[in-house]
Amino acid sequence: MTFRVRLPGRFRPRTAYRVAAAAAAIVTISALAACGSNGSTAAGAAADSATGASGTLNWEWQLPTSWDPVTSSAGWDMHALGLVYASITTLDPKGTVEAGLASSWKYASNGKSVTFQLRPGLAFTDGTALNAEAVKENVVRGQTQANSTEASELSVISKVVVNSATSFTLDLTQVDYQVPDLLAGKDGMMVSPASFKHVGGIPTAPVGAGPFKLTSYVPDSHADLVRNPGYWDASQIHIANFTVQDITEPEQILAALQSGQVNVAYIAGNQVAAAEAAGFKVDVIPSEVVNELDIQTTSAPFNNPDVVEAINYAINRQAILTVQASGYGSIAYQPFPKGFVGYSSKLANLYPYNPTLAKQLLAKAGYKNGLKITLTAPSTDSALAEQIQGQLAQVGITATIGNISTDTETQYLYLDKTIPFAVDGTAGRMSPVEMLDVLYSQQGLMDVDGKAGTTPAAVSSALANALTVPLDSPDYPTALQNAVVTSVKNDPIHIWLDTNPRILAYSPTVTGIPQDLVQQRWEGVRVGS
Amino acid sequence: MSRRPLIGQRSWLRLPSAKIALVILAVVIFLSIFGSALAPQNPLTINANALFQGPSAHHLLGTDYLGRDVLSRLMAGTRLSVLTAFEAVGIGLVLGAPLGVATVFLGKWFDFAVNRVSDALMTLPYIFFAVAVTAALGNGLVQAMSAVGILLAPGFFRVTRAATLEFARAQYVEAAELFGASKLHVIRVHVVRKVLPTIAVTTAMSAAGALLAVSFFTFLGIGVTPPAPTWGGVLSSDLDYLSQASWAPFIPGALIAVTVGALNALADAFRDRVGPGAMPVPDPVIKTHSTLTQSDREATDARQTAA
Amino acid sequence: MAVIELTGVAGAIAPRRRRGRSVAAKLGGGLAVLVPIVVLSSFITYCLGALSNSNPAATILGQDAATPAAVAKLDRALGLDKPLVVQYWDWLTQAVQGHLGVSYFTQIPVSQSIGQRLPVDLSIALLAVVLAVLIGGTAGTVAAVNRGSWFDRGVTIACSVVSTLPAFVVGIILVVLFAVSAHLLPASGYTAPSAGVGPWLEHIILPSLALALQVAADIARQLRTSLVSVLDQNYIVGARVRGLPYRRVLVRHALRNACGPALTILGNDFPIMLAGAVAAEVVFSLPGLGQLLLAAAEERDIPVVQGVLLVVATFVIVVNLVVNTLLAALNRSADGVSA
Repeated sequence: MTFRVRLPGRFRPRTAYRVAAAAAAIVTISALAACGSNGSTAAGAAADSATGASGTLNWEWQLPTSWDPVTSSAGWDMHALGLVYASITTLDPKGTVEAGLASSWKYASNGKSVTFQLRPGLAFTDGTALNAEAVKENVVRGQTQANSTEASELSVISKVVVNSATSFTLDLTQVDYQVPDLLAGKDGMMVSPASFKHVGGIPTAPVGAGPFKLTSYVPDSHADLVRNPGYWDASQIHIANFTVQDITEPEQILAALQSGQVNVAYIAGNQVAAAEAAGFKVDVIPSEVVNELDIQTTSAPFNNPDVVEAINYAINRQAILTVQASGYGSIAYQPFPKGFVGYSSKLANLYPYNPTLAKQLLAKAGYKNGLKITLTAPSTDSALAEQIQGQLAQVGITATIGNISTDTETQYLYLDKTIPFAVDGTAGRMSPVEMLDVLYSQQGLMDVDGKAGTTPAAVSSALANALTVPLDSPDYPTALQNAVVTSVKNDPIHIWLDTNPRILAYSPTVTGIPQDLVQQRWEGVRVGS
Repeated sequence: MSRRPLIGQRSWLRLPSAKIALVILAVVIFLSIFGSALAPQNPLTINANALFQGPSAHHLLGTDYLGRDVLSRLMAGTRLSVLTAFEAVGIGLVLGAPLGVATVFLGKWFDFAVNRVSDALMTLPYIFFAVAVTAALGNGLVQAMSAVGILLAPGFFRVTRAATLEFARAQYVEAAELFGASKLHVIRVHVVRKVLPTIAVTTAMSAAGALLAVSFFTFLGIGVTPPAPTWGGVLSSDLDYLSQASWAPFIPGALIAVTVGALNALADAFRDRVGPGAMPVPDPVIKTHSTLTQSDREATDARQTAA
Repeated sequence: MAVIELTGVAGAIAPRRRRGRSVAAKLGGGLAVLVPIVVLSSFITYCLGALSNSNPAATILGQDAATPAAVAKLDRALGLDKPLVVQYWDWLTQAVQGHLGVSYFTQIPVSQSIGQRLPVDLSIALLAVVLAVLIGGTAGTVAAVNRGSWFDRGVTIACSVVSTLPAFVVGIILVVLFAVSAHLLPASGYTAPSAGVGPWLEHIILPSLALALQVAADIARQLRTSLVSVLDQNYIVGARVRGLPYRRVLVRHALRNACGPALTILGNDFPIMLAGAVAAEVVFSLPGLGQLLLAAAEERDIPVVQGVLLVVATFVIVVNLVVNTLLAALNRSADGVSA
C-alpha cells in the first residue's frame, strides 16, 4: 500500500496557520492598544468644563424593577429612579421636606388643599415643558393607570387644579399635612407626558428631568447615564457620567471595587473590615431601612396571635445583628430607627429574646409537639433565613426555606400576596405616615394580608389622626409615635428585626457623598482622578 | 489447571494509582453511609460567637458563616452529594447499557431509532436540560440528577454498543450460534463478560462527571434545602464570604477534586487493563460522514480477526 | 466492515460519475441522520414545558382575574387545548421563523430576551474555543513531540488536575488572581463590542479562560495520545528518512492525521463548554442565557425555558455539523490511499 505525499491544492495548512497567526497578532495588538484607555463604559468620559462637571461615577447598586415610578413594585427603586427623575419636593439629609421642582407651597387654612409654586422654565430631557399641566397629567396617570402601584398613596388627592403654568393646587379628600413629604419620593417623580403615548416603553426607556439622563439600559446588568444640564439643581451635580451596575454576589462587589470597575459600592456590615483593609473609605449612613419578616395573619397557623407572639420571642435579634451585619445597626421592634421623629420609646424592649416563653406560647396555641411552616427568602439572602430557621428550630418550629427569585419576589409578595411568611425589609418612604400606610393599611403595598384582612379600626384612626397634624406642630411627634405604637401592637403583620444602615464603600477619589436618611442623592459629589 | 492468584497478573488492582483511588472511594462511600452519625458535632448548630474560625482543636476544619463546624457539615453532606451522583450514574447505566446490547441484535430500524434518540439527547447540555427539568418537575436535586442520569445514558449506550458489535461478530460467537445457542445465551455468556470492563470505564468516568454536576447544581442552589449541607452548597457559601475566610473554599473544593480525581484514576486503571481497544477513536455526536480513518479501520479489522 | 455508519464509506477515490452519486447518497444519508435528531431534540425541549403542570393562563391573568371561564378562554386563545403533538408542531414552525413566544411574566418576547443575551454567550464560547484549541493544541503537540520529558509529564499532571476542577472554581481562582490581586482585568460585567473592542475583550477573557481550561485539558490529552501513535507510524518515519524537514512533517502529515480525534473531542465538549458558560455567568455576573434560564426556571416561565433550550440545542447541532465537515475534509485529504 502506497501513501501519496502530494496533497490536493486547496488545503494548505502552512499558509492557513500563517494567516491565522497574523490575524491573532492584529487582534491582540489592537486590543492592547484599546486597553490603554480606562475601562469605563462611556466612550471618552467627557469633561464638562463649563460647569466643572467631570469624571465617571460607577455605582454598584440594584437596578430598579421598572424605570417607571408608577409601575415600580419596590420601594428600593427610589434610589435608582432618583437619578433619572426629579420630584416635586426633596428631603434634606435629616428627613425634613424642602424645595424640589416646586420652590414653595402653602396649605389652605382648613388643611384640605395645598398650592405649589413650580420653578419657571423647567423642561424634561426630551424638551417637553415641565409645567403644572404636566404635573397634573402625572398625578392622574399615577392614580388611574391599571397596573399603578402608587394609586393608593395618591388616592388622597381628589383633584389637581392648574392655576397657571407654574402653579397648581391639590385638593385633598381629607386633612393631610404629609402631602409635601409624599411628593418627595416616587409618588412625586415627574415623567415626561410625551412618553405617555407608549406607557409600555417607560419601564425600559424613561424620560425625566432628574440629575442624569439614561442613555442605555441592559436588564440585570447595568445602566449608563449622563449628566442632565437641564436639571433644576444642575449646578450641584459635578459628575459627568454615571453608571449603575447590578452585581449580585457580595464577593464580586468587593472584587469590582478593587479592580476599579466600580468606585462606589453598597456593601453589607460584614464586609466593612475587608473594604477598609483594602484601602477604601466606608460611610455608614443611618437610614430608614429596617429588616423584617412579613407574616400573613389571615392564613393558618399565623392567624393565631399566640403563634405570632411566640415567633417574636423565639428570634434572637442581637445574634442576627452580630452574625449578619457584624453589629452595624441596632435591633428593632418598630419601623423607624432611633433618632427619627417617629421612633417611640414605648416599644424599646417589646420582645426580649425568650425561647422558654415562646415554647409556652406555642403549647398554649396547641402546638406542643412542634409546628411546620415555610419561610420564603429571596435566593440571594439565605444566610439570614438560615439563622432564623435555626432559632425557630430551638423552640420546636420546623421552618422549610422556600426560595424565590428576586425578579418575581415583589410580584408574589406584594402584588399577588401569595406568600404567608417571608424575609423582607422596608426601604423607607419620604412621608412617615405614608410608610405606615404602606405597611399596615389594607391597601398598602407591603400589607401582605391584603384584601383578605381588614385594617384594625384603631390603626386607621391613628393614621388618619397623624395626617391632620402639621409637620411643624409640637404635637406632631406624639401623634406620629402614637400611630406607630398603635400599628405595631394591633396589626402584627411585620416582625421587626434590626435596622440596616446604608453602608457605602468607595474609592478615595470620590468625595462629598451626602448622608441622606431616605434616598441617596448625588448633589455635591465629585470624582477626582 | 494451576491455581489462579487472587489478583490476576493483568488485573487493574495492581496499579498503585488504582489502589489509592480505591481507598479514597471507600472512605467516601463509608462517609456517605455513616457520615452523619460520626460527625464530631451537630452540623446544624449555629453559634453566633464563633464565626469564621480557623482550624482548631475544637473545630478541626474551622467554622462557617453561621459558626457551624465545617468538618461535620462536610461529613454529613457526603451522603447527599455522593448518593445522588451514583443515582444518576445508575440511571444512565440501566437505561443505556442494555439498550446498547439490544440494538445489535434487534434489527436495523430499532438500531436507527435508538441511535437517533441517543444523538438527540447528546445535543442537550446537561445544565440547561437539568434546569429545564427542574422548571417542569420542581426544584429538587433528585429531579436534576435524574435529568443528568438520562443524559449519561447515551454515553453508556454508545460504548456498550461499540463493544458489543466487536464481540458479537467474533468468530467463536458465530460458531456458538451455528451450534444452536440462542441469542440470549450468546449475550449472557459471551458478550456480557467481554463488555463489562468497558462499561466499568464508562461508569467510573460518568461518576466523576455526575459528582461535578452535583456540586455545580448545589453551588447554583438547585435542590439545596437549607440547612442540610452539601459539598457544592458549602463551597458556594464559602465563596460568598471569601474576603472573610479566604482559605475556606479550598476545603470543599479539595474534597470534590480528590473524589473526582480518584474516580478518574479508577477509570484510567480500568482502561489500561482493557487495552486501547476499549476507548476507540471518540465518535462525534452527529455522524453524518464516516469519521474512521484508514488506520482505525485497519485496527478494528485486526482486532476482530484476533479475537 | 464498518457497520456503524449508514452512509457510504469514503474508500478509494471513485470515478466522477460514481463520485457524484456517492455524494448524493452521503447527503441523503446525512439528512436522514440529522433531521430525526433535530426533531427529537426540539420535541424533548417542548415536552419539558408541557410536563410542567404549570397553568400559564392563570399566571398571565393574575390571581384575581383567573376565573375558570377566563382561564378556559385564554387556553383556547393560546392553543393550549390542542393535542400535544399539534402544539409542538405549531411551536416549532413559529420558532423556525423566529417567534419563540412571550414570557409569562414580563410579556417581553422570548426572542428579544434571547437576542439580547446571546452575544454574551457567543463571545465567551467563541473565545473559549479559540483559547482551548490554542492552549490544548500547543500543549498536546509539544508534549507529544517531547514525549517522556518533564514538560510532557507536567502537561499530563496538569490535565488531570484541571479536569477535576469545576469551571466555577476555576473562575473564582481567576478572579482572585487577575482582578483582585493584580487589578489587571474587571471582575464582572459585560460590555458589547460596539462600545469598544478593548473593554469587551477585557471583560470576556477571564470567563472564556475559565471555560476553556477543562476543554483544553481534554484536547491536550487526546491530541498527545493520537499524535504519539501517529508519529510512530511507518509513513512518518519514512518521510523523515526521505529528508523532509521535521516541522513540515509534523504539521502537514502528523498533525493532520492526529487532530481528528481532538476535533471530535472539541465537538463533544461543546455542551460542556456551554454548561461552563452558565458557571461563568454566575461567577462573573454576566447577563447571559444561563442566568436567563436559571431565573426563568425558578419562576417557571416556560416559554423562556423552551426558547433557551431550543437555541442552545441548535448551537450544539450546528457546531457538531461543522466539526463533522471538518473531520470529513481532513480524512478525505489524509486518506489519499489506494487500497
